[in-house]
Amino acid sequence: MAIVNLQNVTYTYPLTHSPVLQNINLRVNEGQFVSIIGPNGAGKSTLCYTIAGFVPHFFKGELTGTVEVADNESSKSNLHEWVLNVGLAFQNPFNQISGAKYTVFEELAFGLENIGVPRDEMKVRVEDAMKLTGISDLADRSPYSLSGGQQQRVALTSILVMQPKVLVLDEPTSQMDPIGTREVFGVIRKLAEQGMTVILVEHKVEWIAQFADRVIALKDGQILLEGTPGEVLTSPILEQSGFGISRYTSVARKAQGIGLWKNDQLPVTLDEAVEGFALTPSPSPRGRGEQ
Amino acid sequence: MAMHERLSFYAKRDSILHRLNPLTKLTLVFGFVLISFFAPFYWTPHLLILSGVIPLSFTGKVAREYFNASLRLILPAAGFLFIMQALFQPLEGEELFRIGFLHPTKESVMFAFANAMRIFLMVSSFTLFLLTTHPSELMSDLTRRGLPGQFAYVIISTIQILPQMQAKAQTIISAQRSRGLDTQSSFLKRAGSLIPLVGPLVFGSLVEVEERAIAIEARGFTSTKTKTSLHEIPDTNSDKMIRWILAALVLISLALRLWLS
Repeated sequence: MAIVNLQNVTYTYPLTHSPVLQNINLRVNEGQFVSIIGPNGAGKSTLCYTIAGFVPHFFKGELTGTVEVADNESSKSNLHEWVLNVGLAFQNPFNQISGAKYTVFEELAFGLENIGVPRDEMKVRVEDAMKLTGISDLADRSPYSLSGGQQQRVALTSILVMQPKVLVLDEPTSQMDPIGTREVFGVIRKLAEQGMTVILVEHKVEWIAQFADRVIALKDGQILLEGTPGEVLTSPILEQSGFGISRYTSVARKAQGIGLWKNDQLPVTLDEAVEGFALTPSPSPRGRGEQ
Repeated sequence: MAMHERLSFYAKRDSILHRLNPLTKLTLVFGFVLISFFAPFYWTPHLLILSGVIPLSFTGKVAREYFNASLRLILPAAGFLFIMQALFQPLEGEELFRIGFLHPTKESVMFAFANAMRIFLMVSSFTLFLLTTHPSELMSDLTRRGLPGQFAYVIISTIQILPQMQAKAQTIISAQRSRGLDTQSSFLKRAGSLIPLVGPLVFGSLVEVEERAIAIEARGFTSTKTKTSLHEIPDTNSDKMIRWILAALVLISLALRLWLS
């Protein structure tokens, strides 16, 4: 069952002439993990805003086509009702902190206070969400005293407590160092395992290959490619269109050119690369003084 | 944690004063100040400080912080006010001494002293309020009583975000200094060299405002449902009684002023 359904969506920001999204058709089934990749200016963030209702409710502008989540239509809903369907987290963890709270626990309760959740239920929901994302030990810290990775996990948790049906993540690790990235992806992996419907915009294709059920390549506001991570992320079209591709894919493609890669499928991750190269018979140890 | 402490005056203790409802404490502050202005007796502000605010600072277990702030910040300001008013207030009466054109009278000194004490009372009772009241507790209590949520948010996020803005300005200054910006010579030059700081800081902040708006919107900020609060803020019968007594005292002092003058 499709929980997210976009049909012929075209959107133009106010005061601009050319559409940022053109004729987007996108169906995401419940529990699916969909990743969106694309070069800068491809419309990835706008697509996130569209699914999360901020287009057109917050940014105004002209939207045609239909955006449906859980059988409700975005244009017929209010933003404050829509955010209960779709949770949105984005790049900068610092700007996602409300600034009105003094501890992480209070910060996480902020959204629940806004939607009028009773106190007892609020505490249970916050504690459960903290356990899920592994930040229970941060409960009494000030949100401003945290590291980037911790802040981003707080931001993610603050959306999770709202119990959205769909989670939209717009480059959640782009401002993280490797440790922060690993922390955030650890949380995303857990969510995926729990059957959360996730739409993730991300540049780090090696991570995407591990989680995504489906990958969508977006370019100039249109869907360029769509398919399994293996199909899309190793497609030669990506490289020609200016997408970032995995270094393991590039290495294997070079190796394929000189007959060192025997597999049909090119790898995206280190593990796939190692597995693939293991199929290639190792060259005879000529020139090495064996005794 | 250091950041947290810098952001507010609040001193976490367990005391009767801390447990009072924020509105009660706010009523105390305004009650004291209004009474000190209304009551027609010369000794009112002094009495309120000596038998009201100072003992309360001990009740609230924040006497050390209270005296620290009072002596270092409030007393110098009140003292300055006293000297200015005593010397330049042209009140007729018994002349105390005369230096050049300055000839303070007993009346002007008395008047200045009472006024300085009123200011001292006003600022120090407010300091005591801030020391014993957590800002978010105050705001959630006021929101519960009908203060618009947006208003409360603006106040409290401003308190929190100012130090962040400061830190950001420092980053921009460092970045520009590393590219040769002069920030250490004469005052005028330095003032001029601050101009390139304004653009990034202001425009950067505007972009941040949009993102923050999206972030809080994503958490139901504009929801039409009645907001709830994580912390239970007690509002006991004694809270209500204190508020009524103070309101009555304010009215009595106003009546006395009108009646006696």
